[in-house]
Amino acid sequence: MSFPFRTSGLLCAVLLLMLSACGPSQQPENHSPDWDHPYPPESGGTLIDAMTGEPSGLIPMIAGESAASAVASNIFNTLLKYDKNLELEGELAQSWQVSPDQKTITFTLKPDMKWADGAPLTSADVLFTWKLVTDDNTRTPYGADYKLVIKAEAPDPLTFRVTYEQPYAPALDSWAGLQVLPEHILKGQDINTTSFARKPVGSHYYQLGEWKNGERIALVRNPNATQGQARIDRLVSRFIPDPASQFLELMADNIDTMSLSPIQYARIFPAREELNRKIALYKELGNAYTYLGFNLKHKPFDDKRVRQAINYAIDKQELIDGVLLGLGEPVASPYKPGTRWTNPDLRPYSYDPEKAKALLREAGFADHDGDGILDRDGKPLAFEILTNQNKQREMSAVLIQRRLKEIGISVNIRVLEWASFIGRFIKTGEFDAVVLGWSLSLDPDQYGIWHSSQQAPGQFNFIGYNNPRVDRLLEQGRLELDPDKRMKIYHEFAATLLEDSPIVYLFAGYGLPAIHKRVKGIDNPAPPAGIGHNSYEWYIPAPLRRNEISAQ
Amino acid sequence: MIRYLLKRLFWMVPLLIGISLISFFIMHLAPGDITTTEAGFNPKASEESRQKLRELYNLDKPLIVQYGLWLKRMGTLDFGTSFASHQRPVFWEKKDDQGNVNPGMIQEALPVTLLINVLSLLLIVVIALPLGVISAVHQNRPPDRAITVFVFVGFAVPGFWLALILMYWLGVVNPWLPISGLHGLGHENMGVLGRLWDLGKHLAIPVFISALSGLAGISLFVRNGMLDVLHQDYITTARAKGLPENTVIYRHALRNALLPLITLLGLSIPGLIGGSVIAESLFAIPGMGKLFYDAVLMRDFPVIMGILTIGAALTLLGNLLADLAYAWADPRVRRGVVQ
Repeated sequence: MSFPFRTSGLLCAVLLLMLSACGPSQQPENHSPDWDHPYPPESGGTLIDAMTGEPSGLIPMIAGESAASAVASNIFNTLLKYDKNLELEGELAQSWQVSPDQKTITFTLKPDMKWADGAPLTSADVLFTWKLVTDDNTRTPYGADYKLVIKAEAPDPLTFRVTYEQPYAPALDSWAGLQVLPEHILKGQDINTTSFARKPVGSHYYQLGEWKNGERIALVRNPNATQGQARIDRLVSRFIPDPASQFLELMADNIDTMSLSPIQYARIFPAREELNRKIALYKELGNAYTYLGFNLKHKPFDDKRVRQAINYAIDKQELIDGVLLGLGEPVASPYKPGTRWTNPDLRPYSYDPEKAKALLREAGFADHDGDGILDRDGKPLAFEILTNQNKQREMSAVLIQRRLKEIGISVNIRVLEWASFIGRFIKTGEFDAVVLGWSLSLDPDQYGIWHSSQQAPGQFNFIGYNNPRVDRLLEQGRLELDPDKRMKIYHEFAATLLEDSPIVYLFAGYGLPAIHKRVKGIDNPAPPAGIGHNSYEWYIPAPLRRNEISAQ
Repeated sequence: MIRYLLKRLFWMVPLLIGISLISFFIMHLAPGDITTTEAGFNPKASEESRQKLRELYNLDKPLIVQYGLWLKRMGTLDFGTSFASHQRPVFWEKKDDQGNVNPGMIQEALPVTLLINVLSLLLIVVIALPLGVISAVHQNRPPDRAITVFVFVGFAVPGFWLALILMYWLGVVNPWLPISGLHGLGHENMGVLGRLWDLGKHLAIPVFISALSGLAGISLFVRNGMLDVLHQDYITTARAKGLPENTVIYRHALRNALLPLITLLGLSIPGLIGGSVIAESLFAIPGMGKLFYDAVLMRDFPVIMGILTIGAALTLLGNLLADLAYAWADPRVRRGVVQ
């Protein structure tokens, strides 16, 4: 019985011998520094993180995926940004004024700003970027917001002015999303194919140091940064597609930070003392919520009572406990909890199966044939939930299936690959219900998702929501730039939406970053914007730095 | 012989066209296209811009026209550029006006996958050959049984599981080997030996894992080949004339037993360019498996077709090579081919 094991041991030994024929083996560190010791801030050091995907390029308006914006947001500046409480403040802009008729916004830039290569950064660059993003030849999906500008001008190097045909409230948010590109480098180039996407020159805290395809991107500090100097010298992002491998790398101290899954956060970490000694866990508001959406053009989902009944029949806390191990919260509006756009008076539908049954009875459903499934006009109350290959969504669908069965609704679940899901079912409108997610947007405008005009194939109101009151509120909200008046509009919008129940808000999961304790200066608990809002102030004290032996 | 070769090569052309036609249509049967990626599911992205993209890539044209366009480009050996926003060349590098070299996607992924697969194939042969011979010589006795159990355990163990265990054991508990990636952080600053050492350490677990599952096939193949040969008359003759047992086994028996292995190795040539998606994701290795998988998920048709075409060409070439090698090694086959 011991034979095969001896053989495999022999094999291992042979293999190791082959590989360790020469060269010194790494000394395991025996002395463990006191990671909790406080140190004063100092600059220097390298922070290594892990990303699951690789950016396709570093011009975010072209690349489009989250990996690209994650890296590019360290390289390029925007006119405005969101502060730690998710309120807008200036980044390249020192200040901005909205004209009395609310149609013109004038940005005043900070003086003496430079690109990483030393060239001056002026309003001409902003104007150039606007021209790029609205150019019909630019292959960007994000031009729509900027095409509403009927006149953009840069009267002097520090002034940038845009005029809209009619007031457009999401404008400010859109200027917090447009990363300004350098005119002196990109002028005359084809933005779609330029090599600039792989060797960008920006103005933010970091510039590109090295990009090894499929392996990593290294950023180094930009000495000409417009927003002052970051403390950490180098940011290295390694591309590790598998979360389990990322976790092993974190345990082995080869990366400093990753985002954890609920299991890693709530089960593995509490069980391992040695991990907690060197790694700190954080919890921040998630960026997205998961929902159960109905196809409102299909019967019986055109009946509000049915939608509300299903909402009452689903136990949101059970979903949060089961799917997220408690690491999330219920939402009652499509905005980040705790921010100004969230209506504090709204509560999610409570778990109340009796109420659900009563609503269904009122809608004419009863179990006439005694098979345990409710029916109306001879048709059983049965439908199919579609979702894509996403573990949390699949698990949610299963829990929903069980709760709905208890009140006499039969549910099937079908899990699909993303492109097939969208191409075959969402675009054609051939679905009953979906479990999907939307982001919790920072700007309250959700015209594209809820307005009745946005139902064509490929548009985002694919559930077919059509409510004149919501349409009117969404239109009003777009015209109102005053934050307080705007807030009232969207509070009413969220309340109407909740009552109408075109979707069932399931939960918003927390972001769960784990960061090695050698990194200091992180806000805990996280402010609404998350821990990353002051990452330029993070620092790694010299005694705690990784032994960079290999980088002689 | 030359005529035979030319004929075989000539017949590869219609085969390749047929294969590409079938793969092209099957790929396009899947719903969705490059504009239905998960990142594109963003209310800020407008449908008009997606339609523009579809027209740009001719995705709005009938399938047969799209295939014709593709075939026309392939006629000049142009694999095209990826649909992804980086628009990198699918196969080989291209230079732009300013002299910036844009490396090809297959050009970068292929050497990585080839290296791992060739190393693991070598490892398999080096280990499986003696195992097979030992098994055959000690047929049905403990060494044979032990080897069979071992190779089947290696075959049956789920690779990703063993990989995770080894990564944990050799990377976290005893930090001897790197866990994932291909190069260490300071790779650029190392000498040649240092780089090789670094690369070797990174490849150790992936190569071992991929070799382990291949041991069973080859070692049993060698074992059976050996058994066949050992029962033949000329072996009895060799033993009868008093040759030492080692000479009988390694000079007379093994050489003939190896013949079928040539076919097997020839058939595994196309497999050399295919990477494993799971292993490559786990070890964060930018190889062909991940490239193909991502391209399929993104519906990046030029990349998918590029990889399939190269794979098909290599399969046909591998078959041809196996036949030729067999003819070279076995006079009986050679006579058949020449006639």
